Amino acid sequence: MSRRIYTKIRVKRSKLVDGMTGSDILGSLKRAVAEYDADATEVWARKAVEEGVDPIRAADILSEAIKEIGDGFGRGVLFIPDLIGGAEAMKSAMRVLEGEIKRRNVRRENLGTVVAGTVYGDIHDIGKTLVCTLLTAAGFAVYDLGVDVPAEVFVKAVKEYKPDVLAMSALLTTTAPELRKVIDALRSGGLRSRVKVIVGGAPISDGFAREIGADGYSSTAVGATELVLRLLGKKGES
Amino acid sequence: MIDGFRRKLAPLRILTDEQIEVVHSGALSTLRETGVRVEHEASLKLMKDNGCEVDFGKRIVRFSSGLVEECLRRCPSSFRLRARDSEKDVIFGGDVTYFKNSVGQMTVDLDSLEPRVPTEKEFLDALKVLDALENVHVLGPYTPYFGHEGVPPVMSIPSTCAAKLKYSGKAQLEGVQKGSEVFCIKMAKAVGSEILGLMNAPSPLTWGSDVVEAAYRFAEADFPVQVASGAVMGGTAPATIAGALVLTTSEILAGIALVQLRSRKPVKVLPGTFSFPMEMRSGLPAFGDIGVSLYQIAFNQIWRGYGLPVYNSASGYCSSKGIDFQAGYEKAIACLLSALSGANLITFHGSVSAELTFHPVQAVLEDDVAGMIGRLVEGIEVDDETLALDLIKKVGPIPGSYIGEAHTRKWWRREQYLPKAADRLSYPEWKEKAKKTCVDYAKERVEKILATHAPKSLAPDLEREVNEILEEARRYYEEKGLV
Repeated sequence: MSRRIYTKIRVKRSKLVDGMTGSDILGSLKRAVAEYDADATEVWARKAVEEGVDPIRAADILSEAIKEIGDGFGRGVLFIPDLIGGAEAMKSAMRVLEGEIKRRNVRRENLGTVVAGTVYGDIHDIGKTLVCTLLTAAGFAVYDLGVDVPAEVFVKAVKEYKPDVLAMSALLTTTAPELRKVIDALRSGGLRSRVKVIVGGAPISDGFAREIGADGYSSTAVGATELVLRLLGKKGES
Repeated sequence: MIDGFRRKLAPLRILTDEQIEVVHSGALSTLRETGVRVEHEASLKLMKDNGCEVDFGKRIVRFSSGLVEECLRRCPSSFRLRARDSEKDVIFGGDVTYFKNSVGQMTVDLDSLEPRVPTEKEFLDALKVLDALENVHVLGPYTPYFGHEGVPPVMSIPSTCAAKLKYSGKAQLEGVQKGSEVFCIKMAKAVGSEILGLMNAPSPLTWGSDVVEAAYRFAEADFPVQVASGAVMGGTAPATIAGALVLTTSEILAGIALVQLRSRKPVKVLPGTFSFPMEMRSGLPAFGDIGVSLYQIAFNQIWRGYGLPVYNSASGYCSSKGIDFQAGYEKAIACLLSALSGANLITFHGSVSAELTFHPVQAVLEDDVAGMIGRLVEGIEVDDETLALDLIKKVGPIPGSYIGEAHTRKWWRREQYLPKAADRLSYPEWKEKAKKTCVDYAKERVEKILATHAPKSLAPDLEREVNEILEEARRYYEEKGLV
């Protein structure tokens, strides 16, 4: 039953598109993010590509939309489910837009690149995902490696994506030592000086972060964005 | 055997019979259609041999309803948990309620409210307080702290387990981490006690390899197993109480099927809950939220309906960072409702600031609350003597008074609950006594316990044996490069 209603809505939407301008499409794309509708953002992103809308402009619109959600979170009127819902809606449109960006061989400006993940042996996802979402909202290109990420995968990602920042999460006292392992692996791979490393998670403290040789620590997801901006000397640009 | 509180009230019900039925059938259809991911390789074959549909690639086990219900029937409706001191044994089941302590990773400075790792002395002092408190019937896992200065994280469970066995005769629960159960079982056997082993599902619908292996080891030792889910409503479970009940009931039923099918003898199982709503700004547990109690009351009703004892754990934690009004209401409301809805074991004493910290002063305060809750569930005695018709006739109207009557002397202490750390002074007296609060009284009681309480000590040869097993654990983790 619900599936049928849903299909109807989609049909209605694609009808609406006929004769729409690029800015109508971008407005709909932005509204779909604000409505946390990952199916609709994908539809509008495809439509944008079909109608020849600049994919960089569309990606910027997505960032604006996610930034508004991030601001709402910061003001305490939106909550984690909204942030995650917004991020999912953005991702499904980005998958479409990234293909087009590649095809046109253009480059999207961003504040910097961040690789993020939860360490090996630890499957806690939420804190790390929040940090990724808020960093994306702030204008960074973020590569989320997921959870339970072995040290060698972090090292490989640092080599491949050449990020400005590596952000790692550990939520257990037993997995916190993994953070040090990754930092040591970066050092022995000669990569440590190329990337700023930030850490977070319930058992982590400022002192612990310093002790393992990280560049920074934040106790909250909002604080993590400020930390990255500060570390990269970009405070105020967001 | 240690005395718990015998509930004489009909347990609180929050669901109708029809609602229970749809949760139950929802859980069975989830187990049949969606299945549960079992990350323990040997169990996949075991489940296949018992007629389950197993996807070995995805490690998904789908259970038939008949098999699940058969495994449920194998669980005894009550069982004894043997303590090191047989006078402290407990029997889970029926209408008896016990309390146990909650835990904290660290201690907390009561002035600055800053957490810090406890010293060994603070660890042992806190344990001594828990041993002394009359309404702490059972000691929890990782108790009272996750460890203390000088204990590497991987040694925290063997080390706290050894401390509990050495310095308290009370029955205990123990968690698992990296094979720690092997050493805990050995230590408990050495001193002639049992351990209620924890088997906690990492939701949604997953049983991790380590916890399953540990549960099998506890069952093999003929120790009881607590099978629980800690699904977070809105995170690892649906945000709705009803959806969370379907999910966690499925997980626990699957856990029960695993342990019962693996063991030749019926395994003693205590279904438990450590579920709570997610705090939607931080992603942290929303301890103290009324959703904890809504869920636990329903959980207790469902599992009592299955004929098994029940354990509530999330009731024992608060979001407040200090010993204050918020901490008081968050934990008291939840524990009271757990007791009223028929939980047989309730986590309560000592934690402050979620699971981050523990403080013995909080435990002393909560011992009074546990006593009050216990008194409440024991209900009202109504007979010729308590109705006191003859006495009412004898005393008559004013100027009659009951204060000097033998009946009053006999009964008032049974009817009231006398808290040991509450302020009940008149205003002038309170002012004269430096305006002391319940927290001041609790601090004094902690000091008094530390000065006077003598836990029943372990025979020197047994203590040596426990220490040797602890040393064996250290060597084992050293060889694995974890210490």
